[in-house]
Amino acid sequence: MHKQRYWGYVFTFPFIINVLVFLLFPIVFSAYISFTKYDLFNAPKWIGLTNWINILNKREFWLSMRNVSMFALIFVPLQTSFAFLVAFMLNQAALKAKSLFRLFYFLPVITPWLAAGVVWSWMFNYQYGVLNWFLGLVGIDPVNWLYSRSWVVVIASIALVNVWKGLGQSMVILLAGMQNVPHEVLESAQIDGASSRQLLTHIVFPIVTPMVYLVMILSTISAFQTFDVFLGLFGGITTGISEQSMVPNIMIYRDAFLLFKLGPASATAWLLFFVILAITLFQQYFEKRWVHYD
Amino acid sequence: MLKKRQSFLVLSLVVLLVATFGMVASAQRQVTLKIGLPGSYDVTSKDIIDQFIAEHPHINVEIQEAPWGDFTSKIATQIAGNTMPDVWFQENAVILGYGERGVAQDLAAYIERDLDTDEYIDGLFSARTPDGKVWGVPHGINPVALAYNKTVFEEAGVPFPTDDWTYADLIEAAKQLTVVEGEEPVRFGFIGAYAITNGWFPWIKQAGGSALDETKTKSMFDDPRTIAGLKQLRQGIEEGYFTNVDFVRAHGGDLEVFASGKAAMHFMQYSLQVNMQNNYPDVDWDVVKMPKAVNGERYVPMVANSWLISSRASQASKDAAWEFLKFYLGNDAQNIVAASGSTLPVKLSAYEVIEASGTKPLNKAAYTDGIAEGGVTLDENATWNEWRLLVQQQVNESVVHGKITVEEAAAEIHKKVQEVLDEN
Repeated sequence: MHKQRYWGYVFTFPFIINVLVFLLFPIVFSAYISFTKYDLFNAPKWIGLTNWINILNKREFWLSMRNVSMFALIFVPLQTSFAFLVAFMLNQAALKAKSLFRLFYFLPVITPWLAAGVVWSWMFNYQYGVLNWFLGLVGIDPVNWLYSRSWVVVIASIALVNVWKGLGQSMVILLAGMQNVPHEVLESAQIDGASSRQLLTHIVFPIVTPMVYLVMILSTISAFQTFDVFLGLFGGITTGISEQSMVPNIMIYRDAFLLFKLGPASATAWLLFFVILAITLFQQYFEKRWVHYD
Repeated sequence: MLKKRQSFLVLSLVVLLVATFGMVASAQRQVTLKIGLPGSYDVTSKDIIDQFIAEHPHINVEIQEAPWGDFTSKIATQIAGNTMPDVWFQENAVILGYGERGVAQDLAAYIERDLDTDEYIDGLFSARTPDGKVWGVPHGINPVALAYNKTVFEEAGVPFPTDDWTYADLIEAAKQLTVVEGEEPVRFGFIGAYAITNGWFPWIKQAGGSALDETKTKSMFDDPRTIAGLKQLRQGIEEGYFTNVDFVRAHGGDLEVFASGKAAMHFMQYSLQVNMQNNYPDVDWDVVKMPKAVNGERYVPMVANSWLISSRASQASKDAAWEFLKFYLGNDAQNIVAASGSTLPVKLSAYEVIEASGTKPLNKAAYTDGIAEGGVTLDENATWNEWRLLVQQQVNESVVHGKITVEEAAAEIHKKVQEVLDEN
């Protein structure tokens, strides 16, 4: 028994080292440098709470938190509900060419943001974009999707693109959950006269709530950590993403790797972590009220 | 027999000793030089590196090459881990930042010792600080000139631009060259670029303004002349004789719009002539010097990439690196730089190669004489990267998208840029 335990430690040693060096150390080190002035090239210099105070006094930080909160508020419900509906439709036994449809919905997931960003920025083009052309056909004035004076319009437009891109991934998770719904249950409900809507709301949804919850948690975290979609649509940090459209992760990247201000970047990253943690705990608090594991 | 054996033994020992000492001496002379090449041999001519290796057998050259973006991402980590090359190049403004952070070696003493500065254009000192430190020497210089599409001018019956043009002449010609059918513009007079080099910076300079003062410690965005320059650019876009961002994006970018004749004029960087030659060889175009400013002076914005020597390299590697830079700034290498067309060399003698070139634009003197007459850097200092981003944000909001007025943007820029300058 004692010998077995010894070998257990030996075999897990590489993984413990991996966790210590590549997970624990960076976390602790980033916490440390958030209290320092550090430019990557010279030794960190302790400056106490200065970085934290500066970030909390910075208008750009609060605008970025506002943007990312609105982004999550639009993106998470839309993504989850659309993914649920698409998964439900693709799970219908009568549907032909299921694989083709699944591929079709999953295609945006594997499209690089660089390409997707260019295509969507063309579609969003105020004067020549296809979206405004459609609006023009039905007599609606063009919308300045990405450069509107209203920040809500800008964030909502970007959130919609993110839904298009991420729908496939959430759909796959939910579809896997739906495929585990016992056929006998569905058949007996149908024999008892349940309509498709009743099947969806009273049978399928309660059974897949753990998956829906998972999708919501993952979508919320990814929304608060959004980066690529903003970069793709605005064309890069150096071309000047406006303060009104800023998000925390772009601030962190810019401060750390363009301006070599590792202290403020780390402080922002930790603040973002606390926000995500709080929201995840909030979601977890309500989990038992609507998620069914039995 | 014994004597013979003894003689053979002695001889062998002597040969062995000579060979050993020779190898030791040779090994002492050998030095390894790590050269970093962002953009690989697409940006730096392989001929230069090969010639340097051939002429310096005692220097073992190790090349660290990567696409530009990958190199610049990697180099910060390399510097942090002390594994950076001994010599590499990046944007001049980045080099200035490196200098302030102690990463770059001051080259002032090397230049004074080994170079005759009269043989070079002023751009040699692009990386010089107000206190006389020189953090790098140019890999190449990229100035701007006024490019014009001859076919468009001829069709519109508008005389070609000249070196005597002012910005008022440019605006007037842009209005004449603009064609609108119905409500749709089909041709613009000028490309209303909004980036720093060929966009807002030349416009503020021509109006008599600037981004920073001469000491590079004070923001000049509260100067009415700076604001006037930004307003002229905005006015051209708003009134429709300069392209707007939607038009340019929908029609394939600045060069495509210019080459296809959808815009008649463009502030074009020297390096873009290579793209024009490769992608639009049949377009009839040329360049003249940048128009004159309101004060009669000419300001030719130029960007430079600069070589730096790592301050943390060993003395032997620093010496080898300087040997490389001396070679790079010598006649042979500078002639190769000139022939590439991708950037301007800094050695005056190499300009003969450019003048003899028969490729478009034919009037390359607009670039070479232009920088001699009025070459200016983009008010670069150690915090350029930071304050330039802040300016660009507000320029996008006001000049490009018209979401706020230029005055509002300038006030915001002035406050924020000054904060950055004060903080550093």
